Amino acid sequence: MSMLEIKNVHKSFGKREVLKDVSLSVEKGDVIAILGPSGSGKTTLLRCINFLEKANGGEMVFDGETYDLGHMKRADIAKIRKKTAFVFQNYNLFANKTAIDNVTLGLTSARGMDKAEAKKIGMQMLEKVGLADHANYYPIQLSGGQQQRVAIARALATNPEIIYFDEPTSALDPELIGEVLGVMRGLAEEGMTMIVVTHEMNFAENVSNKIVFMEDGEVLESSASDEFFSPAHEHENRRINEFLKNIRAQHEA
Amino acid sequence: MTERIWNILVEGFGKIMLASIQVTIPLTVIGFAFAMVIAMVMAMVQYAKIPVLRQISRIYIWIFRGTPLLVQLFLAYYGLPKVGIVLDSFTCAVLVFSLNEGAYCAETMRSALEAVPEGQVEAGYCVGMNYLQIMWHVVIPQALRTAFPPLSNSLIAMLKDTSLVAEITVADMFMAAQKIVGRTYEPLWLYCEVALVYLMYSTILTFIQRAWEKRLSRYNDRQTEVKAEGGAL
Repeated sequence: MSMLEIKNVHKSFGKREVLKDVSLSVEKGDVIAILGPSGSGKTTLLRCINFLEKANGGEMVFDGETYDLGHMKRADIAKIRKKTAFVFQNYNLFANKTAIDNVTLGLTSARGMDKAEAKKIGMQMLEKVGLADHANYYPIQLSGGQQQRVAIARALATNPEIIYFDEPTSALDPELIGEVLGVMRGLAEEGMTMIVVTHEMNFAENVSNKIVFMEDGEVLESSASDEFFSPAHEHENRRINEFLKNIRAQHEA
Repeated sequence: MTERIWNILVEGFGKIMLASIQVTIPLTVIGFAFAMVIAMVMAMVQYAKIPVLRQISRIYIWIFRGTPLLVQLFLAYYGLPKVGIVLDSFTCAVLVFSLNEGAYCAETMRSALEAVPEGQVEAGYCVGMNYLQIMWHVVIPQALRTAFPPLSNSLIAMLKDTSLVAEITVADMFMAAQKIVGRTYEPLWLYCEVALVYLMYSTILTFIQRAWEKRLSRYNDRQTEVKAEGGAL
């Protein structure tokens, strides 16, 4: 049984339909890359399944329980959020907290964990992203890549069953992208379940095991990553062939 | 300067200082403290978009920002007794200053709360925190930092505005000066003197403001020294 299933998600902003009947199924240990042009609804999908946006309709099956995305109860949202984590494009670190406090706040405040214990976990997480020596830095004193790594440590600290990444490297200097992708690759190798909205084709091709291609609020294709990127594979959808051709052309340029 | 004027100024200084300690400073401190509480509550109900309370807060701010402070003082002291509410003049002054200043500071606080990036609130939800936990640990501390300079300005402005309470018979430092002028007819010297005492107090407040601002801006300053203790694993 899938650990997470999304069925028939609909979302409109006013009259604009951003998600038209999107479905997605996630197995434990999956690293799913959601690809597609800007404005295709990738980010909105991720935000809907973590309730940062309210979907107009759809169903979610998580941990064996079924939820109606259009009518979520506050308690259910809280329950699900305690088992998931989210990494934002703009890091969104708490500006008034040091790196270590950013990582531990979800433990001490939301879960009532003892401070010393939370700090121990927090330091392990910072260690994991290579920033243990920056524990007492405020976000403003860190580079973009370091901030994003702290954000990943913060996501890991709460021991989530799944982590959602919303274009985690899109706000970074090209130079700094590698350090963040490196951390994410490490997580994938450890078997962390992740859904990653990204424009990093190398990551999608080499790290993720499944690709979901979206356009105009619809999933055009959902396939294994090897298959998706195989030059021999002819996609049913012309738009995807075009997308891949453009990307390959860029790589060769 | 003649010896007579010198003596008047020396006597005046004592009386002005005494009145400032007995009236002006307590009025400023108490009034501003109440104003902060009011401002915080009014700003929060607007930020949290609580129905009804939010509208009440808007109406309150509209009225108290839209009418002159002096008129409010007169209404409270001379007007309210006509409907059976008789307050002593100092209480009236505290009441009016709290409400008036609260209305201005509510707007300052509201904009400071709204200036905290929405993404940090979302991040708070995503690590499992609830609304109040996010407000307490993330939003309010940052909003206070943002609001601190304008709030300090309001405090300094209020200190000076308390000179209006002489009009409703509160014996503040300005009234102390007026009384001596009435007796000695030396308005130039005495009003200069009382002005200097106000200046002295606002200067002290400015220094306090600077020191606090530095303390509060730790996380806004790239130069902030990093605590050495590091991570004891």
